[in-house]
Amino acid sequence: MSQQSALLQVNNLCVDYITDAGDVRAVSDVSFEIAPGEVFGLAGESGCGKSTVAFSISRLHKPPAFISEGEVLFDGKDVLAFSDQELQAFRWAQCSMVFQSAMNSLNPVLRVEEQFCDVLMAHEDISRAQAISRAKELLNIVDIHPDRLRDYPHQFSGGMRQRLVIAITLALKPKLIVMDEPTTALDVVVQREILQKIYQLKEQFGFSILFITHDLSLMVEFCDRIGIMYAGELVEVAPAKSIFKQPLHPYTYGLGQSFPPMLGPKKRLEGIPGHPLNLLEVPEGCRFQSRCEFKHARCERVATSLKELQHQHWAACHRHDSALAPITAEEVSLCKQQ
Amino acid sequence: MGFILRRLFFYLAAFMVAVVINFMLPRLMPGDPVTAMLGGRGAMMTYDQIEALRQTFGFVDGPLIQQFFSYVSSVFQGDLGTSVQSFPETVSTILGRAFGWTLFLTGAGTLLAFIVGSLLGILAAWNRGGWFDSIVSPLSLILQATPQLVFGLLFMFVFGVTLQWLPSGYAFSPELTPEFSWLFISDVAAHAILPVFTVFIVQLGGFLIPMRNNMINLLNEDYITMGKAKGLSQLRVMLNYGARNAVLPSVTSLSMALGMVIGGAMVVEVIFNYPGLGTVLYNAILARDYQLIQGQLLVMTLFMLFFNFMADILYLFLDPRLKHGGSA
Repeated sequence: MSQQSALLQVNNLCVDYITDAGDVRAVSDVSFEIAPGEVFGLAGESGCGKSTVAFSISRLHKPPAFISEGEVLFDGKDVLAFSDQELQAFRWAQCSMVFQSAMNSLNPVLRVEEQFCDVLMAHEDISRAQAISRAKELLNIVDIHPDRLRDYPHQFSGGMRQRLVIAITLALKPKLIVMDEPTTALDVVVQREILQKIYQLKEQFGFSILFITHDLSLMVEFCDRIGIMYAGELVEVAPAKSIFKQPLHPYTYGLGQSFPPMLGPKKRLEGIPGHPLNLLEVPEGCRFQSRCEFKHARCERVATSLKELQHQHWAACHRHDSALAPITAEEVSLCKQQ
Repeated sequence: MGFILRRLFFYLAAFMVAVVINFMLPRLMPGDPVTAMLGGRGAMMTYDQIEALRQTFGFVDGPLIQQFFSYVSSVFQGDLGTSVQSFPETVSTILGRAFGWTLFLTGAGTLLAFIVGSLLGILAAWNRGGWFDSIVSPLSLILQATPQLVFGLLFMFVFGVTLQWLPSGYAFSPELTPEFSWLFISDVAAHAILPVFTVFIVQLGGFLIPMRNNMINLLNEDYITMGKAKGLSQLRVMLNYGARNAVLPSVTSLSMALGMVIGGAMVVEVIFNYPGLGTVLYNAILARDYQLIQGQLLVMTLFMLFFNFMADILYLFLDPRLKHGGSA
């Protein structure tokens, strides 16, 4: 699934955590790519490895986590092979990041001005005065009055702080912005406002976005393509429009059923039975087998891998080995009765 | 501004409480200093002589409240009474002479311990579990748990007596007169090395371990990760993002330590015969010089409060959330 034009290519990425209970592979053999200007979404339940994948792109893991295998190619350059200096220059200038709790990602004891200037001056050969005027422009872009540059983070509201962080991510005009649940801590009204802002900025500056969330309705609306992760593996990748309409992996189907539809009659929501996989006890074969309605003998023996089953639609499930068959509600209820 | 005024009011109140206690304690004891001083020596004195001495030492007659106001007014005039031991020198003169030496000795030792301890703590936290952390952190705990007495005697014996590299006592050589000259200053510095180092080594762990622990907690904060993701240098993330936040609780410890050591360097001063407040207090206790002990306690309280107040002001500059009354 490689394209010459891809901005970011992640190939067979594995991230391990060394724990006292044993080594845990938090991200296992994950491959995907993001084209210039594309919004790629990563979804999955808590602990499935979404953020761990996101951290890999700028190599932000701290021990005991480390990237054990794979490749991260950014504009064709191997990020994992960068020296410390190359990595420092690459970070933020090429790929910036909005963190899970952007509310807490501003340093509480430094003025906002300082947090713009340090990153601008670390990467570009400009004077402090120039950096400040750049920072003022950036504040204008996110609709915050430039006079507030001299304030401290605690003097801003949650939504404003989030916009500050977004302004900082834009500072060096990166090609990719990783957004790790950028709106989780905000109420829905502010959430909407922030997303619209992000979308508008994306149109204006043309950067790509790796968008991570567990809010699927938000994701379908916002992303071009979506990848679904389960227990450290990417189990399905497809265009946003088709992934929940014609899911090919039972887990994707289950996720889609876990959210109430906006239109149509009320119905009882179906969750996914069972618990997330304990990564210390990875079974032989498919990782989703214990929670799957369609499990058969092959699932217990042979591990799954992503295959392009339809145009641009990839899934890792043995169900489609013989014939392609999107999952439907009738089929699931039939399986349950058996 | 309101914050500073509120704190100032609090410290004034605390000081008044200390003054009251200081006033009450000797009066709750049976007898008075004059009796204590003369009683055991079988001295022959007339009633008038004793009365005169009592007045000299501030034990005026009259109701307690009148005595109290007379005491308070003399305290605020800087009159802490007269020393029994080195009569007729006043307590203020004796304390004033010793105070500078103690401030120099313990101030230098404590500040040094704060700076070095904090830096080592930052490094230990940054390389948590590495060889540096595994050696330095337990070692500093051992140093901290060892009494000053042990280090004081050890350093004096090794460097002062056996190797004779450094003078083993007094603040400066007796043949010199205090003056602003290179000779005198270097002599004072040479005399200060061993006691300062003793104060330093004992307090090191007290700053290193809390700094390390604060820093380790902070390293999981998102703004640290964001600092790294911004492509800032390691040093900048470590100092501006990590240490800058982790140092806040340590500032309180520093002010407490400075307040404490004004009186608490007694062991070190006595070992090295240093002419500071500790030696004064030690001799005053041996001689039962109540006026001097009382005065010393008051000065110690005053400095404890003073350094706490300094820490409050410093906090205003270090933690902007206080100044603006933020909730975050």
